[in-house]
Formats: sequence, C-alpha cells, structure tokens
Amino acid sequence: MPLIDIRGLRYRYAGAADDALCDIDLAVEQGEFVAVVGANGSGKSTLARLLGGLARPAGAARAEVCGHDLCSDDGHLDVRRDVGVLFQNPDNQLVGATVEEDLAFGLENLALPSPEIARRVDEMLARFDLEPLRTREPHLLSGGQRQRTALAGVLAVPRRVLVLDEPTAMLDPAGRDEVLAAVRREADRGLTVVLVTQEMDEVLLADRVVALAGGRAVFEGPPAALFAERELLHELSLGLPPAAEVGLALMERGALAELTLTLDDLVAALQAGTP
Amino acid sequence: MRRRGAAVTELEPEGARPLSVCCEGVSFRYDEGATTIAALRGVDLTFAPGASVALLGPTGSGKSTLLQLLRGLLVPDEGRVLLDGLAAGEGDVEERRRRMGLVFQMPEMQLFAATCRDDVAFGPRQLGWSDGAVDEAATSALAAVGLPADRFGARHPYSLSGGEQRRLALAGVLAMRPGLLLLDEPFVSLDPASRRDLEAILRDLRTGGMGLVLATHDVDRAYALCESRVVLDEGVVVDAGPWRFGAGGEDVLLAHRLKPPFVVELWRRLGRGAAEAPPQLTAAAEALA
Repeated sequence: MPLIDIRGLRYRYAGAADDALCDIDLAVEQGEFVAVVGANGSGKSTLARLLGGLARPAGAARAEVCGHDLCSDDGHLDVRRDVGVLFQNPDNQLVGATVEEDLAFGLENLALPSPEIARRVDEMLARFDLEPLRTREPHLLSGGQRQRTALAGVLAVPRRVLVLDEPTAMLDPAGRDEVLAAVRREADRGLTVVLVTQEMDEVLLADRVVALAGGRAVFEGPPAALFAERELLHELSLGLPPAAEVGLALMERGALAELTLTLDDLVAALQAGTP
Repeated sequence: MRRRGAAVTELEPEGARPLSVCCEGVSFRYDEGATTIAALRGVDLTFAPGASVALLGPTGSGKSTLLQLLRGLLVPDEGRVLLDGLAAGEGDVEERRRRMGLVFQMPEMQLFAATCRDDVAFGPRQLGWSDGAVDEAATSALAAVGLPADRFGARHPYSLSGGEQRRLALAGVLAMRPGLLLLDEPFVSLDPASRRDLEAILRDLRTGGMGLVLATHDVDRAYALCESRVVLDEGVVVDAGPWRFGAGGEDVLLAHRLKPPFVVELWRRLGRGAAEAPPQLTAAAEALA
C-alpha cells in the first residue's frame, strides 16, 4: 500500500469562495521522491500543509498518510509524528539557543531518555555536517547552515515522510546546493520526499512530478515528460531548466536532436556534433 | 525655497532623472543586545547615473543593509553616502533621495489600499502632486508593469495573482518617478512565468534609462540585466566592476558561496572564453547554432 494514499481530496480556506484544492488524487510509495510544481496560488503549499497534518481536509474519498486518516480527529494530529515539514524560512523553525539544543528540541518533546537524545543528536550532527557548529547560535549561521540545522531538527525525530515547501528560496547558491544534497542523501537512504518548488532544475531531482493548477492536479509523470509538454508548461506558468531552455532553442534551429535537461547532457550533445 | 501652502498647492512630478550614488567608507552595525554585528565595513562604491549593477553575496553579506543605506533609511555609523556629490543635509539632497525607489523583499506584503489604482497613487499623493499628476503617474506606472489601469485599476490588490501583486508593488514605487530603482530579491517566491514577466519589465525600464541596483541570489538574471556587479561577503566589498570570470576555482563568485551564470559555465565547459558568454539563454543558443 502506498505511504501517501489520497483520493478526491478537497480543501477550502475559511471564508473563501473557491476550493484551494479539489479532487486531488496522490499516491506516493515508500522511498519515492515526488516534486510538486505550479503557479503562485495553485495550491502547492496547501497540499504540503495537509500532508503534514497542519490543516485538515474539507473532505476526501480516502486521505491516508503513513496509515493515519487526515480527515479524522486523531489522524491529522498523529500524522505530524511521521511526517516532517520544512518551510522556506529556517528562522521560523529554529527554536534552540545552539545547534545541538535545536536538534534536541523535538526529541525532548517526545520525553525520550537523555542518553537516547544525546545519541540521536550526535547522529544528526554527523549526518548533516553540523558537528563543527554544534555549540553555535543558529541565528549567526549562514542561510544554508540554518536551513540544514532546521532540516536536521525535523529529521531528528524519526520520520517516514519529509515534506519540503520551497526550502531553498531564501538561500544563496552554495546554501541551496548544501540543502539539496542533504535532501537527496536522505532520499537515497529510503526516506519518502515531497518537494514543493518553483525551481525547475530542482524538479530533476525527483522521480516523479505533480503539477497543480487552480487547486487541481493537471499533470503527473517523470520530470522529462513534463518538460516535453511545452504548451502545458506555458499554461501552468512554469518553465524549463536552463539547459533545456538552451537545448530547446537549439532544437528549433535544427542544431540539436533531443531535448537536454542538464548542463552535462547539453555539453555532451554539443560535443558529439550536429545531428 | 519651495513651501507647501497657499502659494504652491500643487506640485508637479520631476522627470525620472538619473542620479549618481557614491559610498565613501561606509560602515554600519546592528546592535543586538550585548552583541554588535558589523553588517558593512568600509564600503567604497560608485553607482554611475543610469548604470545597472547587481549586488551579489551570500546570505547575511550585507546586501539588504546596503540598499537601505543607499536609500537613506539607515544612516551609516561611519562614512557617508553622496547623491550627485551631495552629502546628507547639503543642497537639495532630499529631492534626490526621493528619486531613488526601493522595492523591498516580498513587497506585496505592503499592499494595503482597496483598489490597485489607490495603492499605486498613494506615493505620488504623499509627495503632494496635483490630482491630475497623481492620476497620470498611477496610470503610466500600472501600464509599465503590465497591469493596465482600465482592466486592473478598480480591482482589489488581493484579487491578483502572486506575480501580479509583486508587479503592483513595483508600480507603487515607479509611480513616484524614480531615476534609480533599488530591488531586494525581486524574483524570490515567484513562479517561473512571473519571473520572466518581471525580468522583461526590468529590461524595459533599463532601455528607458532607469538605473538599477539589483540585490539577488539569481545570478542568471543578474547577468542578463546588469552590466556590472558588486560582490559582498561579511560586509566587505570583495570585488566590484564589470562581470569577469576566472578559470574554474579562481572565480570570485565561487569563492564566495555564489555560482557563475549558467551560460558562463556552459561556455567554460565548451572550451569557449567565459568572458564571451552572452547574457541571455536565447542569445547563447543563437551563438551555438
């Protein structure tokens, strides 16, 4: 059974005239990495909040995440234990006076024994390259370091699903790479990841991409399939990764046979010569 | 001296004249309780009239602080900011300060009026312009950001999409006829289409002679829009001037948590001179085809 198993999910904000999400079907298997894209206001962040149990669906034929029913009284609260959510601005998520205190926060709330907390904090410091920063104050770290600390804090509590809502939007390029590498590593360890993003090159990290428009899912498939749908991309206010944008312009000029998605692919295709 | 009152009831807007801005030994510190954080140290920079300059640097490097110092919202602890050679308190330096428009990060958070037209008209009205001038300024600013007054003027700002709200906030600044536009991370959180729209608007403003200082992590767009760049790190200017790219690891951008633009990386990988990389992806494709 999929870890995220949702059919006909609907959500409407209080006082709104329209549904923010409507008729959403989403099945994500254990270990899958799914990207969610769409224009501003298409419902991406709402979906992230629902998956993390931070809001409750208005209704659904089925809304199971890690075995919890998102529509039930207990389910939408219990799911928070299994699903970690990381937002755009790490400063809204960092609570500790030092990096290690921040990582311990969620574990202390679970009332784990102290040695277990200490062991778990050490493990997270090593896993996210934060060991040298353990006694530093989070607000004095770089953006990428802060976001990695927030991510480690979210994952310090054992999670089955990680939901990320534009986690790199505020970061400099190096910080962005650090956070994406950490997320990719967690996915490779078997963590199920749902990444909401506006960055088309981040979509390439995912196994599958879901595109939302007006609160409905209008595309689902591998990243390469989405980037081949040029009219749909335009309708959805999306775009191409830079290598694909150059690649497409070259195809239109007859200088390239196939769409390239990454810099490596583009360089290789150009060095191989004209088609 | 111009007084407000019976003699001069209706001021008219100045044209969007460009101006030069110069930082001389500018330092600024934030006091946070017991600790003091040096946001900028000994910054010497000159922004020529009508120039377009990208401010690049890691998070916390001082980009936003510098924009607020240029605009006069913060006052340097040391050094001074000169506008057309005039220091604070000299001549009509205040009139020149008004010719700098600052677009904050996430400026749509500041939209407040009941209609788009009223929101955009707020600034010009505060400047004491005549009703006719206010109206004309609002209409042309809305047109400049692709939200024509006849279609959008009467709409509520919150009925717009995220990208449209960002452009409306920009119109509110443009309505005051700046000669220099200071932008703090204008592309953040926008969808790809909205970023393309905003880039096109900024390009049009450039073509019209507007000066730009663009603080951003989006190096590709910075390269496409700006002739030169300033690299800040930990409050210090580590490089300033026209774009130049070293070989791989010697690159000043890579050395400061940044990345060269995509086209530069592509040119490098293809063994072409990085300095020859065209600023835009379409131009790059043309050159390669």
